[in-house]
Order: sequence, then structure tokens, then C-alpha cells
Amino acid sequence: MNDANDNGERKVRSLRDLPQAVQPPRDLWAGIEARIEAERASGAIGGASGPAGASGPAGRKPVGPRFFARPTTVRWLAAAAMIATLAVGIWIGRMGLPGSGPTPNAITARNDANNSTEHGSHSPPGTNNPPNGAATAVQAAYLSDPKYRAERAALVKSLEAQLASLPPDSRQKVLSSLATIHKSMQDLEAALGKDPSNALLQELLLNTYQDEMRVLTTVHEASDAGKGI
Amino acid sequence: MTQIEPEDTRVNWERALVERACAGDVRAFERLYREHVGRVYGLCLRMTRDPAIAEDCTQETFINAWKALARFETRSSLATWLHRIAVNAALAKRRKPTVVLEAQEDDDGEVVESDWTLETPLEVNEIETAIERLPEGARDVLVLHAIYGYSHVEAAQMLGVAEGTCKAQLHRARSLLREKLGVEVR
Repeated sequence: MNDANDNGERKVRSLRDLPQAVQPPRDLWAGIEARIEAERASGAIGGASGPAGASGPAGRKPVGPRFFARPTTVRWLAAAAMIATLAVGIWIGRMGLPGSGPTPNAITARNDANNSTEHGSHSPPGTNNPPNGAATAVQAAYLSDPKYRAERAALVKSLEAQLASLPPDSRQKVLSSLATIHKSMQDLEAALGKDPSNALLQELLLNTYQDEMRVLTTVHEASDAGKGI
Repeated sequence: MTQIEPEDTRVNWERALVERACAGDVRAFERLYREHVGRVYGLCLRMTRDPAIAEDCTQETFINAWKALARFETRSSLATWLHRIAVNAALAKRRKPTVVLEAQEDDDGEVVESDWTLETPLEVNEIETAIERLPEGARDVLVLHAIYGYSHVEAAQMLGVAEGTCKAQLHRARSLLREKLGVEVR
């Protein structure tokens, strides 16, 4: 009986050793994502102006100047990636230049479409719902995809002319955003060189590719709109 | 180049993902989901004792988290924040009549056996079953305090009870657990 009691006591004391994580029997993400998308579509989410337009979580804090003003607490890579996104988001959010481009809503709606192919814009393959752990393959497909490479090359080629059609402050913002994105890419690529299997680094790098394409495509569209095309 | 401690890096990545999710990046939020779903579902399952309800609670937790993400302070623990939301979701489900009918037990410990089991060694299963059979209040405190490591203050805040109640429930839970494990041990 003593043995039984001791054994029971040991079990009671071992509660901390029980696994905290229990994986659900099925993937619940699809249902969560569907609800998020449904709320976005119904306009239940939004209101505050964020870096990605009215696409983020409801009631989110305005990010932007306040974000940049707060102390640097996030380390180099994460900070670089975030700043790149925010810079793009802020710029995109402010691209509603009077008479010279699409409205902010139109632009953010296009960005929300995530990988939309309108206006011939080709988004990186595999960036929509990448399966878990498949970031390396996705990244490889991204960089080697001829459509992506061709479109990016075309956008870069026409960038200079398109920038000339934008107001000076917008032009400066574009250049600044692209510089931040490219710096992030370099940092992330360098970090991946040391830790090639780091899924988070891969994911952030993919996001910077997407950000770059968003900026290039938005410049292209804004420039076209300014010319009355 | 700045030297980064591994743990620090992990937290920073989480912050980065939270910031991205705040900016509307659903993929970043999915990454956070994948990172935390096990602990959230584990807590929901232990509190509700029903896999289907635990799944609902888990989904509600992440949907509510998405909606409230802007209010999350990145200096605090995302895991703890998610657990707070999960506890609220589980308590809300429990208040619904259909759930009460299916899962309630009385203080005599008479319970309807639920059908969930963990794919874990026999001894762990035995402990989990004993926890499952505890009365709700005692079980909640035991799960939060003894398994997930929250202090009495934190557990009491999560459950909306007084700290003294929390301590009393834990004492009760441990006593009942000893009783149940003692009977079951051969």
C-alpha cells in the first residue's frame, strides 16, 4: 500500500512533466483563415489606417511614425524586415496622390488580393498558403520562376521613367522603401547563408520579395494612372 | 555583425511575426498559429474534456487573437496572452447549456467518460484521466498552475476568481488527484 501511495504521490508531483502541447487531430488553420477572410470581406475588420491598408486585425494600433519613433528593441534582421514592410505599407497607404494614381483603397484592395495577377502583375508562385516546412522549395521556385524574373526585370527597367512622373516626395518614398527592402534582402540572405534551414528567415525573405514586387507594381500602376492611361 | 542569443532570436522573430500580422499579413499570423496551436489546444482540451469543443475553442482563440492583436504588447508573452483568450473561450463554451449537459460533473466525481486520449505512455494517460475526472473549478486551477506553470495570481486572473479561491481549489484538486491515483494504482 505504501508503494502504491508513493507511486500516486510521485504522479501528482510529476504534473509539470505532462506535455503542455497537444496537437489537434486535424489542421484548424483553414477554418481560422476562412473566418478571418470572411470578416475582411464583410468589412468588419479595419478602420485604423495601418501599413497594409484596411487589411489587418481590427482596431490595430496605427503603426507608422509611432513605430519608428519607439526605441529599437527588435534586433537587426527582424527590424529590417519589419521596417521594409512598414515602409512599403506606409508608402502604399499614402499613394492616393491627388489626380496621379489609384485611391488608397484601390491600392490596398489590390494588395489584399495577395498575389493578384491583374494588370499583368505576376506574383511569386507558392507564396499563397505555403505548406509548413516548404519554404525552401517555395523560395527556390520563386527565384527561378521565369515569369517572376521577367516581370520584375520589366518593372525595374521602366522604374526610372515611372519615378519621373511621380511627385518628388512620392519618388523619394519609393526610393527609400526600395532601399530598405534591398537592405533587408541582403541581411536576410547573409543570415540564411549561416543558417540555411531557418524557416523563419526564409519566410521573411519571401516577404521582402513580395514587398518589392508590390512597390514596383504600385509605382507602375500609379505612374500609368498619372498619364491618364 | 551583432551576436544574437538563440532564445533572444526566437522572441524577436515572434515579435517580427506579430508586427507583420498586425500589418495584415495572414501568413505571419499562420506562422504564429503553428507555433502556438499545440499549447492552446492542449489547454482547451484539458479544460473542456471534449475534442470537438476544444477545437472550437482553439479556433475562437486564434480568431479573437487576430482581432485583438493590435492590443497585444510585444514585451509580454504571446503564449500567455493566447492562453488568457483560450481560457475565456473555454469558460464561455462551458456556460452554454449544450456544453454543460455534455461535460458537467458533480462534486462527487461522477463523470461521463469522454473519448479523448493522448498518444502518450500509459502513466501519463492515467494522470490525464485522473485530471479529467476532477470537478471543473479544481481542474481548471490544477491545469493552469500545475501543468502550465501559471502563478496563483495569474491563474486567478484568467479564471476570474479570487486568489484565495484559486489556492483552495488547487489544494482540493491535489487531494482528489491523490485519491484517484491512489485508488487506481496497483
